[in-house]
Amino acid sequence: MPEYTLLTVLAVVLVVSLDLVVVRTRLLATLGFWLTLTIMWVFQIPVDGWLTRLDAAIVRYDERHFSGVRVFFDSPIEDFGFGFAMVLATLMVWTVLSRRSTGAEQRRPRRAAAGEPSSGIGVHRGG
Amino acid sequence: MEPFHYLLVLVACLAVTAPLEWVIGARVYRRPRRLALTLAIAMTPFVIWDLVGIARGHWDFSPRYTLGLDLGGVMPLEELLFFVVIPICALLTHQAVLRLGARLRPHGRLAREAQHLGEAPATRPRCEEGARRA
Repeated sequence: MPEYTLLTVLAVVLVVSLDLVVVRTRLLATLGFWLTLTIMWVFQIPVDGWLTRLDAAIVRYDERHFSGVRVFFDSPIEDFGFGFAMVLATLMVWTVLSRRSTGAEQRRPRRAAAGEPSSGIGVHRGG
Repeated sequence: MEPFHYLLVLVACLAVTAPLEWVIGARVYRRPRRLALTLAIAMTPFVIWDLVGIARGHWDFSPRYTLGLDLGGVMPLEELLFFVVIPICALLTHQAVLRLGARLRPHGRLAREAQHLGEAPATRPRCEEGARRA
């Protein structure tokens, strides 16, 4: 297997096992993650295409080191695995850090924060 | 303009996602410490992967479309910025999805996920202070 292909598969397996088994952030079980990934992948098509399109390639890939499968604007298909791993790793670390900073509060009763009117999501029970 | 090709696409990514923070209410830039720590922890392996890719000849960068500021003589500045910009876009998108979802359906799945992550307003009264007092 070409090296970039192999490294992509390894990265995906590693990040997925971190999320589900080791760190147990379980983002893969959330709707929010999959919606985010879908949006990121859609935007990756033009952005990665801008980097890889063969008539003006910014990043130049050696054909011997990936599957040779290019999608959309000449992007190696592995790039989408790279993107998946990057998105999941980022959200996973952010989630762990968020839990750490809010963790001590989890057991305390919560009141709507008066100081945050701009972000009014409004998770008001029976409001 | 050609040397700015790589830099410009990164700027475009930041410009397109900026309203997620300042219109939709994602809180990523406004948590600079958590953001910096997230980038440092999550992106280090990917930067190393990138360096391995460069060293092994998996890819290289066109001098025509980059600024020519090569860090350590190997990685263009833009490539390092890529690992700052793209994760920021991902975080902003995730938070915007949760917030918009929770706004649309206050008792829906995304609202629960937002609350679980501490991204709903009801769950976020000064987290750090609270943690210290608890």
